[in-house]
Amino acid sequence: MKQTTKLFSSLVVTALLAGSAFAEVRTWTDNKGRQVSASFIGLDGENIILQIADGSTRTFPLNILSAEDQALAKSLKPTGQPVMMANASVAQASAKIDLLVATGIGKANPERVKGGKSAITGFNAMANDEQFVRRVYLDIVGRIPNYDEAMVFIKDSNPAKRAKLIDMLLDSSGYSAHTYNYLAEMLRVKDRLDGGNDVRGIPYINWLQKQVEQNVSWDKMVFEMLTATGKMWHNGAAGYLLRDSGMPLDNLANTLAVFLGTDVACAQCHDHPFADWTQYQFYELASFFGATSTRYQRRAPARRNKEGMEMVDMGNKLMPEIESIIEKNGGDLTRIRNGLQQFIGANRYAITDTATNAVKLPHDYKYKDAKPGDPVAPKFISWSKEDKNLAAYKQKTKEEENLRLAFATWATHPTNPRFAMAIANRMWKRAFGQGISEPVTNIDDPAQSANPALLKHIAEEMKRVKFNLKDFMRIIYNTRAYQSEATTEHIAMGEPYYFQGPLLRRMTAEQAWDSYMTLVLGEPDKYKKPLEDLYSKTIDLDLYNPKLDAQTVLMKYAAFRTMGEKERAMMGGGLAEAGGGMMMEGGADSMMMDGAAKKGTPKTGASDMMMENASLNYGGMVLRRAAELEQPAGPGHFLIEFGQSPRNLIDGSSKIGSVPQVLMMMNGRAQEMLTNSQSLIFRTMEKVKPSDEKADTEAAKLEALFMSVLNRRPTEAEMVTAKKTVADNSASGHGDIIWALINTREFIFVQ
Amino acid sequence: MKTELNRLNPLARREFVLRTAQTALGVSVMSSMLDGARAAETAQGGPGSPGFGKAKKVIFLWMNGGMTHIDTWDPKTGDTKGPTDPIKGKGQVDFLGGTMENMAKVSDKITIVRSMSSKTGVHEAGTYIMKTGYEPRGTIVHPCMGSWASNFLGRIKGVTLPDSVVVNSGSSYPGSGFFPPALSPVPISNPETGLQNIRPSTDDGQFQKRLSLMNEFDSSFRKKFQSEDVKAYTEFYDETMKLMKSEDLKAFDLSNEPAATREKYGRNSFGQGALLARRLVQAGVRYVEVQFGGWDMHNNIDTALNGTGATMDKVFAALIEDLAATGLLESTMVVMGSEFGRTPDVNENEGRDHYPLAYSTVFAGGGVKGGYTYGATDKDGRRVADKQVSPSDFQATIGHAMGLPVDEVVMSPSNRPFTVGDKGAPVLDIFA
Repeated sequence: MKQTTKLFSSLVVTALLAGSAFAEVRTWTDNKGRQVSASFIGLDGENIILQIADGSTRTFPLNILSAEDQALAKSLKPTGQPVMMANASVAQASAKIDLLVATGIGKANPERVKGGKSAITGFNAMANDEQFVRRVYLDIVGRIPNYDEAMVFIKDSNPAKRAKLIDMLLDSSGYSAHTYNYLAEMLRVKDRLDGGNDVRGIPYINWLQKQVEQNVSWDKMVFEMLTATGKMWHNGAAGYLLRDSGMPLDNLANTLAVFLGTDVACAQCHDHPFADWTQYQFYELASFFGATSTRYQRRAPARRNKEGMEMVDMGNKLMPEIESIIEKNGGDLTRIRNGLQQFIGANRYAITDTATNAVKLPHDYKYKDAKPGDPVAPKFISWSKEDKNLAAYKQKTKEEENLRLAFATWATHPTNPRFAMAIANRMWKRAFGQGISEPVTNIDDPAQSANPALLKHIAEEMKRVKFNLKDFMRIIYNTRAYQSEATTEHIAMGEPYYFQGPLLRRMTAEQAWDSYMTLVLGEPDKYKKPLEDLYSKTIDLDLYNPKLDAQTVLMKYAAFRTMGEKERAMMGGGLAEAGGGMMMEGGADSMMMDGAAKKGTPKTGASDMMMENASLNYGGMVLRRAAELEQPAGPGHFLIEFGQSPRNLIDGSSKIGSVPQVLMMMNGRAQEMLTNSQSLIFRTMEKVKPSDEKADTEAAKLEALFMSVLNRRPTEAEMVTAKKTVADNSASGHGDIIWALINTREFIFVQ
Repeated sequence: MKTELNRLNPLARREFVLRTAQTALGVSVMSSMLDGARAAETAQGGPGSPGFGKAKKVIFLWMNGGMTHIDTWDPKTGDTKGPTDPIKGKGQVDFLGGTMENMAKVSDKITIVRSMSSKTGVHEAGTYIMKTGYEPRGTIVHPCMGSWASNFLGRIKGVTLPDSVVVNSGSSYPGSGFFPPALSPVPISNPETGLQNIRPSTDDGQFQKRLSLMNEFDSSFRKKFQSEDVKAYTEFYDETMKLMKSEDLKAFDLSNEPAATREKYGRNSFGQGALLARRLVQAGVRYVEVQFGGWDMHNNIDTALNGTGATMDKVFAALIEDLAATGLLESTMVVMGSEFGRTPDVNENEGRDHYPLAYSTVFAGGGVKGGYTYGATDKDGRRVADKQVSPSDFQATIGHAMGLPVDEVVMSPSNRPFTVGDKGAPVLDIFA
């Protein structure tokens, strides 16, 4: 009884939900005398559900147990939810989630049947390896696997290969790119900020990417964003508030929606029509940010330093001198002045904490509890009467300088009633295509969600893994529920879903583009944007340094102006170089990375076209992953046409088609790039050519083609069609098949 | 009391009722009272009221950057006077900005609304509010007018072209808002090249072959996953193919226009964009927005007006004359708008900055009065002095002209109630 020894050596599951009866781990004996150590979960008709050592739950027919144990089982109270020990293994944690999903399905069935739908019989069938490898690459690293990656997995005979692949992908740089994309969309991160000056989001973007790369825990990341001070290029986290400089109320509404899954946007202007939030409560929350400024005022009131000395805005003071220098040198002042002022103005965007709280009720405040213009004291909102006893609520809210700190501590505290739940529900949605509670920006009442016990549990799990998003996702990806086939049943908007498998989802714009990049580059994660942040290097001016002089301002401005040109110059290279590494002897694929070409000629015959740096392009498109391009991409870019968020709204992307989008898919440059005979797909087809002369070379090629694009082998019928296509037209047949495959629904939907 | 009440704008009126009730009665107002106030005011709108449904087509000329009202449609001669002297218009259009020579000649065909007032001086927010009637919110995207029209009036029958188009932009944001993306305007980034990617990269035979391969390889997937999302994609492919083959596509080809006409509009993106708009509405497109940038005149407004201002004047006038000559003006409403006006006071860089408190919009055709002005600003163009019009009213006016039920509440998928232009009141006085 291996199982038994294992269980006794590590008694993992002993603790139980508060309030429920203790379910002890005991030895259960069946009618043949075999034994298993397990804890009792409950009865399901003629079956008994037991939780065994690895945390998984098993269902056995009750009648295989010894008569004594059968009687005992019938007398025990069901324990319902098992609880995780702090050091539970991934398998245990995943199994627990599966149990809760299964329980949820069971609970939902009567209602479904009443509504005329068929009962859900359990999880969908297990996804096969081909389905799984494509899905898990798309879900974890945000792109399809390349030919080699797919083949390695499919051929692997290790029974634990799925868990192994999940671990490997979570640790790859593709994970960072994909997770960054998700967070950037959620947080509306963009490069060109509104407001017509030189403040750009680059340092914030870089900061966020770094956080994800280093897998900084979610609570810490959010805390940093809410409490950052100074300029964005000194602390990238400041970008979170500076992103919405001048719109503190909108920023707050977004903060609540994103981090706490609480939609109070309505209460910004009036009492919430459906929920209980009042406008007054909204202003109480706003009051936490009332002593925070996101911009230095150019004119009065003067700023004072800590010693009370008045600080002078040198940008203002030096302007006359700067202007006279420009004029002396024959410059056109009216043209230069605007640019110069934008450059200086960018340096006024900084977060500072002030001594007075400026939040007052709006001039059109219309409720009886207060008058327009009244000052408002800070106060946390709560979701139930007991909330205020939680540790999260024990914050000092009296001193102006600590207000933001108090808010951030409350908002990111493990005992905040919504913080863990909001991010857990979001992460769940990333894997399954739907949140347990929808919309994810408004978990109004967890009890009304599709599976309240599951929602509560994953919130606890998020806390248990200490807000480590990678660890959390590892648990989700290892569940049986996630590894099931995608659900074929259509789920109407607003209809609850019970997670018998992931939903069929259209690729995000970033997944589609990054998959194209995989088809072109092979290993797209090796192509990074230039590391150097030229913007941050050239934008900074210390406006409050009394020693700042006019010459320095002008010199720095000149350097800033040339920065943009440098940025543009940092790209080059063509399609033939792409994925060249795969063709190198000895797999010297780092060549593409290093920029300057190493010695050694790739067999593509493109050796004389090596680029100066890592950026390749095709027909004006820079060939890098979405996370390494401008944020968001410019108008007309594949990403935008395919629905990338313009980053104005939380989760603002679109996954629906349009005529211009389909035109692009059928006739645009991206498809041209893939069907081009220099494309990597063709080279992969050459590579797999069997050495045996009698072998069916064409079949092998076509298999490689299908495997590259759809990550599955062609069916027999498809093979016949494909062969005929090539036979009829040897020059363009393969290109035609590639075109056809990338235009299928199968390509753009994630199974 | 009643007449005075009616003079208030609808928002002010609701507020008035509310406050009166609160102070005088000491009770909170029942919604029926508010609804009553609302019903009284909109009894004037709707079917049968002036201008309702007269504009079968709309060409919306969008002046990107914040069009200076004092130098164009609402010129002043006092302290805030611009670089040029105002010139005389026709009818009630007393004066126009000095660079508006061509518009002066056709000013008998336009109505200027001089009493626009908005709340925001930020480009993005200002654009959003002028194009939707709603303030931008972090939680919802509201539809633009072309999408509202598609929602209420349905797809245009017998035409494969899109219902609405945005010219000179790669993006149609806010597009269809909470409506399905299928109702979103199609962006045309360059009027000379027309619809992007409309031609296959192979000959027709090969293209057909590719399509049939696509359908064959995709058949088992489509059979397995019969979800709405998958079906919708297949419909988009069908629709796109229909469009690719359509004769209507000729509307996008400006080379079919006589050289003289193209010259008359001006060989620039705005001129050719406006010409394209005329061709598109002629071919059946319902709503065309043409964008024209260069209005963010923070410095050297004199030079900027000689460029941007003069171009706008020439193109706008050419469009009106052309529509009038082809008989389209009666059923086509041309509207000019911008995110806000510009500061009455000239700044240190000889420019003007953002100014939402008072600015102008212009209407022509589609049942609108000619040689008419509505509302006014004060002596220096700083404040609205008469008949304030909000962006919501502006949107409701366009919707009304198109025959949309601007009062009808439409629920978003998130189950929130919305109307065309956020309950604005159509400015009925501008209709003949």
